[in-house]
Amino acid sequence: MNESVECEIKLERSLIQDGPKFLSHKLIVTDRVAYLKPTISSMLFCFVYIVVGMFLISLASYVLLQSQKLDLAIFIGGFGIAIGTFGVSLIQPFLQRASFDKHSGVFNNKRDRDVKIKHIVSLQINNKVVIRKQALSYRCFELNMLTKNGRRINILNHNNAVQLELDARKLAKFLTVPLLDLRREIVL
Amino acid sequence: MIKIKQLLTALLLAFSASAYADEPSAFSATIASISNGVDSFFNDYTGWFVGAVFHSVPIGDANFPLIVGWLLLAAAIFTVYFGFVQFRRAGMAIDIVKGKYTDPNSKDEGEVSHFQALTTALSGTVGLGNIAGVGAALAIGGPGATFWMIVCGLLGMASKFCECTLGVKYRTVLPSGAISGGPMYYLSQGFAERGLGGVGKFLAVGFALMCILGSFGGGNMFQANQAHAMLTYAFDVPSEYGVITGVVMAALVFSVIVGGMPSIASVTEKIVPWMAVLYVGMALIVIGANIGQVGAAFSAIIDGAFTGAGVVGGFIGALIQGLKRATFSNEAGVGSAAIAHSAVKTKEPITEGLVSLLEPFIDTVVICTMTALVITIAGLNAGPFDGSGLTGVTLTAASFTETAEIFKYLLALAVILFAFSTMISWSYYGLKAWTYLFGEGSKTELAFKILFCFFVVVGATIQFGAVIDFSDAAIFAMSIFNIAGLYFLMPVVKKELNSFIARVYSGEIKRFD
Repeated sequence: MNESVECEIKLERSLIQDGPKFLSHKLIVTDRVAYLKPTISSMLFCFVYIVVGMFLISLASYVLLQSQKLDLAIFIGGFGIAIGTFGVSLIQPFLQRASFDKHSGVFNNKRDRDVKIKHIVSLQINNKVVIRKQALSYRCFELNMLTKNGRRINILNHNNAVQLELDARKLAKFLTVPLLDLRREIVL
Repeated sequence: MIKIKQLLTALLLAFSASAYADEPSAFSATIASISNGVDSFFNDYTGWFVGAVFHSVPIGDANFPLIVGWLLLAAAIFTVYFGFVQFRRAGMAIDIVKGKYTDPNSKDEGEVSHFQALTTALSGTVGLGNIAGVGAALAIGGPGATFWMIVCGLLGMASKFCECTLGVKYRTVLPSGAISGGPMYYLSQGFAERGLGGVGKFLAVGFALMCILGSFGGGNMFQANQAHAMLTYAFDVPSEYGVITGVVMAALVFSVIVGGMPSIASVTEKIVPWMAVLYVGMALIVIGANIGQVGAAFSAIIDGAFTGAGVVGGFIGALIQGLKRATFSNEAGVGSAAIAHSAVKTKEPITEGLVSLLEPFIDTVVICTMTALVITIAGLNAGPFDGSGLTGVTLTAASFTETAEIFKYLLALAVILFAFSTMISWSYYGLKAWTYLFGEGSKTELAFKILFCFFVVVGATIQFGAVIDFSDAAIFAMSIFNIAGLYFLMPVVKKELNSFIARVYSGEIKRFD
């Protein structure tokens, strides 16, 4: 991969516009496998939705059985199903563990097409500011990788810079690829 | 553990068969007692504050609150000072939203599209103020209050333009990367530039304190309370079971403001504009179905504005209610919008000021008028207008239901989502003010967030009285400090406006048609 191609790919650009305002994953490295483990705090926030959803569905059933108020039961139950489903959809990505397996020689994040580990050229740390109109804006960081074919794939995306740096160094050592710190000043 | 069991029992009891019995249960009595206790507390300890903010002078038969005059006078002065910017530059504001001043080939990373900018602006302004606020204004001020709401909306466009421009101009990027802006910053920095740092600091601290109270009151308890009032109206849920509505809403608010889960904020930002579309759609259906009565409704609005028939205090009474509820709805002059707009990605503060001036127009002149027409057409709001009959969200809901029964369910959905979205927005404003006073830090921020969630439960549980007065007063008190500062800083805005216009005319700022 020569310099001119890297410039075209714009490695300094972040891959995902959004990002969580907490530490979502940590990297765990064993002898031949490195994988991303979700943190308990990130799972708990997803569980809030599942618990609230389940509570509302139970309440809707109770209302239907006790007071025969069909409209209220549908309203509460509808909210419960929506919130619960939302919680399940939130938690799913956390349960799917992305891994770098030297046994099979592939990186699998259960989302993108598998990448052969030997095709990984470098890792990059990027920064961004997640801007919200109805909430606090905050800094967020990405750990991305570049493959031999010019594909860029996100590995980590959260707002704990210290942990992300630590994990990035561990992963670069595990993969024996260079780690590029491409964080820059963002002018708003 | 015992307490958890007691709470669960209470929650189940809430919807038990006995909950619908005629005799009040022990649960109802407990909730009623808590509600009275909280109401008495607010009456005893914040009554002086409410009295001070709404200090009135007698005009005819009515007592005219000075704060209403303060807001109206400021809006009129800004309108004249900026050369009727809301009328003369409205076309330019629309062009900015349409992207005519943005190079289509240079879309920056993270920049929002103009459709997103417009929908975000809509979601920020359309809310319970348009539904419950108009209901309250017409219940006490009669149909004539609508006219004064429109006047306040048109003049308030200039106030919003001024404060939002300053919000962007004096914003700061904090060490955490969070962008902070709003009256706290423009008051302290803007006054410091003029060698009046002490005065600026005093105004900024005063504003921040009122903003925190406003975030707990109008931005939180009022929202939660009206959301449950809507459930009570639509589904006959007893009002004392607001504790359940409060706990569920507090849990969801907690996950958003404490968890910082990005997808939740995204979902809220995406759903709420569609709720606004749903609300406007319902209003158009009602108006369309009763098109023959629209002329008479407008006549009632115009006549009521100047005669004040059936209103305590006559036309002054109608004017007071119209102006109060319009300000509560569009927040022009209050300073809260300047906090939200300061996070925008732009190099030209004036463009955000121009875009923001469309909000009071959409919010008050268009949507509040639609609500008022629906209420006036339905004819459920008959004089004397003393607020003793249907009022607030229930008056609006009943008026919609006159045309189609299903509207009450759709309105319930919209009200709950609007309330949720407004709480998220106000938690942001409150947190900005909190961090301004106490500094950034995970512990201080968590303390605010937990307190905020606690007030969600309180707001949904209590049956109002003193609390709604406090909610109103805290929001209006923000304008005392904000407007005082805007008078000093309006030359800065005028300079920015003149510079921008000159660069547009000279071709330095290109237009992309």
